[in-house]
Amino acid sequence: MPSLDEHAAEFDMLMRRAGLTVPEQRRATVLASYADFRGQMDLLRGRYAHTTEPANVFRVPPMGGAT
Amino acid sequence: MSTADLSIAEMGRALRAGIVTSAQLTRDALDRIATHDPKLNAFVLLTPERALADAQRADAERKAGTDRGPFHGIPYALKDIYDTGGIRTTCHSKLRLDNIPAEDSAVAAKFTAAGGVLLGKLATHEFALGGPSFDLPFPPARNPWNPAHVTGGSSSGSATAIAARMVRMAMGSDTGGSIRGPAAWCGLAGIKPTYGRVSRRGVFPLSWTLDHCGPLSRSVEDSAIALGVIAGHDPADAASADVPVGDYLADLNKGAAGLRVGIPRGFFQDAQAATQDVLAAIDRTADQLRAAGATVEDIELPDYAIFAAAGRIVMMAEAYAIHAADMRKRLLDYGEITANRFVLGATIGAADYIDALRARREMTDAVNSVLGRYDVLLTASALCTAPRFDASVDALSLAAPMQTMPFNLTGHPAMSVPVGLGFDGLPVGVQIVGRAFDEATVFRASRAVEVLSGWESVALPV
Repeated sequence: MPSLDEHAAEFDMLMRRAGLTVPEQRRATVLASYADFRGQMDLLRGRYAHTTEPANVFRVPPMGGAT
Repeated sequence: MSTADLSIAEMGRALRAGIVTSAQLTRDALDRIATHDPKLNAFVLLTPERALADAQRADAERKAGTDRGPFHGIPYALKDIYDTGGIRTTCHSKLRLDNIPAEDSAVAAKFTAAGGVLLGKLATHEFALGGPSFDLPFPPARNPWNPAHVTGGSSSGSATAIAARMVRMAMGSDTGGSIRGPAAWCGLAGIKPTYGRVSRRGVFPLSWTLDHCGPLSRSVEDSAIALGVIAGHDPADAASADVPVGDYLADLNKGAAGLRVGIPRGFFQDAQAATQDVLAAIDRTADQLRAAGATVEDIELPDYAIFAAAGRIVMMAEAYAIHAADMRKRLLDYGEITANRFVLGATIGAADYIDALRARREMTDAVNSVLGRYDVLLTASALCTAPRFDASVDALSLAAPMQTMPFNLTGHPAMSVPVGLGFDGLPVGVQIVGRAFDEATVFRASRAVEVLSGWESVALPV
């Protein structure tokens, strides 16, 4: 798990890449939210094998009727 | 009895019998709004001239023998993310203060066609996400049960207006729980229908694949009537489903006997935010359903944290795609809470979004599998009662008390129903979840819970 400093460095890089400037007085609050959110993203990273397809891969019903 | 306590069905019967006019119902509602809203902030815009014109038209049509159905002449209000032709629609945001849509949203148009009476536009969390906030163009709506407490969001004004008996039904939207959360915390019924059941056309999006339109109301029956008006296929909404709309009233009072109810206890039993009064309310509801002839059993679903993580990632990624350009140019014009939440969307990688969509398929299959054996699920709407303004937390964070996101992710219909008061005297709701497009069974089970809980005898605070 990244340290708080690594989280902050990563967050700053992502904000620069997005062209966003978070005001300094909001930084601590946003960084705390980012750590929380990053924890949720980590829950899903590496969870699935290549056989698990996303929800936007369509399941087309057979010709002539619904399944 | 005050006209404010008449259900939509009772108002309809009184109108048809000539006991009351729509103009009288409308004036009564406007009077209650004038009395209570200065302290509660439900409305961001009142439309009294439009309302009285709608009401007079409904009265004239009825007198001439035209009956537009169960909503003819009934006052209602819209969350201020629903476009209303010629009427300002702000999303409660400085960014859209001057926005006057040319056309009605599909939902607004359906209510107009059904003879509804539009009272005005209701407060929301900014862009249906950022709140409760005090740095927006309008103040946050307050909970009529205790104005020091939040309503939940984002359909905050909708919940306030109904709980304060200003209006019987108001439209909300639900991307992660924005109908069911405020309904639970304000003692109301509120349904998030199946994804695709109600057109989203003309409703400002928060997250295209999670957004659902639906009603909040004083009773389950009110919501069933309202959904009957607005449900149906709309070719102009890419996600609209061409699935027949059922009769939501036919089995409404059929009771719980014979229903198979599953409880995903792992969702809430050991959750950090769960309070004893909410856990007891779920157990009490299960016991009442059993006693009424339902089969009620604990079931297993995947870890709640996976549903919550996938839902939040999808929501923040899609919301960021909508707001990225404005955020680069005008970040400080958003409220602070909104901006702080939206910037997280910029941190999501492509693989993170795809992993969330892979989780979405897995979670949807799991819920579908369980609903092959059970008619409905019973779970928490929120894990605690409404917090004070100074104690509210991000509804999407790991510590959030809402239990609603799973069914935005999977698209299943889900309803919050009030079942009693917590230790602090604030309302507690439970959540009923059904099979895709089977809102009729959700309404039936929810109505049974409403009756069994005795909620209808609980006095409202205002």
